Amino acid sequence: MSEYETFMEEKNKIDSYFDKGYQVISIFENLSGTFVDFVTGEEAIEREVVQIQLLTAEARKYIATKLLFVS
Amino acid sequence: MADLQINLAGIKSPNPFWLASAPPTNSGYQVQRAFEAGWGGAVWKTLGDPIINTTARFAAASFNGKKVAGFNNIELITDRPLEVNLKEIYETKKRFPNHAIIASLMVEPKQEKWHEIVKRVEDIGVDGLELNFGCPHGMAERGMGAASGQVPELVEKQTYWVKEVAKTPVIVKLTPNITDITVTAEAAVCGGADAVSMINTINSLMGVDLDSWNTVPHVAGKGAHGGYCGPAVKPIALNMVGECARNPLIDIPISGIGGISNWKDAAEFILMGATGVQVCTAAMHHGFSIVEDMIDGLNNYLDEKGIASVMDLVGKSVPKYSNWGDLDLNYKVVARINNDVCINCNKCHISCEDTSHQCIDMLKDATGKSYLKVREEDCVGCNLCSIVCPVDGAIDMVEIKQTLPSMTWNERQSRIASFMT
Ligand SMILES: Cc1cc2nc3c(=O)[nH]c(=O)nc-3n(C[C@H](O)[C@H](O)[C@H](O)COP(=O)(O)O)c2cc1C
Ligand code: SF4
Ligand code: SF4
Repeated sequence: MSEYETFMEEKNKIDSYFDKGYQVISIFENLSGTFVDFVTGEEAIEREVVQIQLLTAEARKYIATKLLFVS
Repeated sequence: MADLQINLAGIKSPNPFWLASAPPTNSGYQVQRAFEAGWGGAVWKTLGDPIINTTARFAAASFNGKKVAGFNNIELITDRPLEVNLKEIYETKKRFPNHAIIASLMVEPKQEKWHEIVKRVEDIGVDGLELNFGCPHGMAERGMGAASGQVPELVEKQTYWVKEVAKTPVIVKLTPNITDITVTAEAAVCGGADAVSMINTINSLMGVDLDSWNTVPHVAGKGAHGGYCGPAVKPIALNMVGECARNPLIDIPISGIGGISNWKDAAEFILMGATGVQVCTAAMHHGFSIVEDMIDGLNNYLDEKGIASVMDLVGKSVPKYSNWGDLDLNYKVVARINNDVCINCNKCHISCEDTSHQCIDMLKDATGKSYLKVREEDCVGCNLCSIVCPVDGAIDMVEIKQTLPSMTWNERQSRIASFMT
């Protein structure tokens, strides 16, 4: 898969979680990339946490741009 | 006709083009001929204690048939007596009262030595002084030049000693042979300098002869490191000028030096914060008459831009010179090949395929004719293909309309910091 296709996949994931009302609760970065934890649900009991790993530099930019300006 | 006069820390000259302290300013004969040719000022070949030079002093780098892409020397300061130089400075100033004559000085880092030379030189009548803290060879081994210019405390102290007695503006000439030139520039400011000039030459060894295994140049089979200058050093010098110009603690004028060969180079230094420029290698390569084109070119440029005085150009690019962390990561350019102009040499394809991001495709049109096309989504906009392309206009780097707001690395890091676990 080309770098661009990998990015588009990662971007679609990010967009779809935001579209479904998930929020970012944690981000951490290590040598393997950027790990973003999304959470949904108001009540603690319903909370579902999903983690995505971002491998592309474009996605590392995109997630931060979303956090800065969109959400 | 734009006004080309400059005023650098009180030193006035009819145009911003000065000859740097070096062989072109070795004598009154030369400086007077330079002024006749149109140079606005001259920094006299450095005066100081008696020295002896070697023969075989210069060497140059040719690149792809272009002579003197870089220039190397192991020459020291003037080897003529102080009295002779002072007499010729006096005569030259008398003939050219409106041109700037700056005396370059270098003595041991001792207060009484600086006091003595400053008084003797100013008694003769100069427009300013330039302290040579930059010569990288020979003098440095004796504790002068770059040796004292690399130690911020010594830069400050010696500048201070000069300022104790100097009546004319004091320019401190800095060595580039240091990790961060703003440190020594700040030291000069603290010592009371009226201006800084940069750069002197960069430590270098021009080459090694593959037959004799001698250094180039060599003196009876031995070599010593020299100082590098000429077109090859321009980007290094321009960065150093820019770094000083944008540093709020260095709030004194800058005289830009290093690889300036034509009016465009000069304009770039002025835009990046230099109030005027000094030239050595280009004059040594082509003679004094190059200043005519420099004056014409700068004049026309200012007229075209509607700028009345060259002083209004000073520092206009400085606010655009920033830190990497403040650059917009969402800005995007991509390469676009203009197939009408392209000669199908494939250089761009090879460079992108071998050393960049493999996004220039070799395709065939309906008639079987081959052509190249950039896959823009994979292009990272590195510029490499347009740099190696031999045909003007065959590759454009085009801006892609931004769909996302601008975001810098620093903004990103501070935003994600709150999410860091
Ligand atoms: C042969 C030679 C001798 C030089 N001698 C001196 C000197 O005596 N004092 C000084 O301050 N700089 C000296 N320089 C440095 C120049 O003044 C100037 O800083 C340097 O060459 C960079 O400018 P350029 O690229 O236009 O040559 C010398 C340079 C050359 C090439
Ligand atoms: S700009 Fe860089 S990545 Fe884009 S096509 Fe040219 S060489 Fe390849
Ligand atoms: S390097 Fe320039 S001329 Fe050569 S193939 Fe590429 S676009 Fe065409």
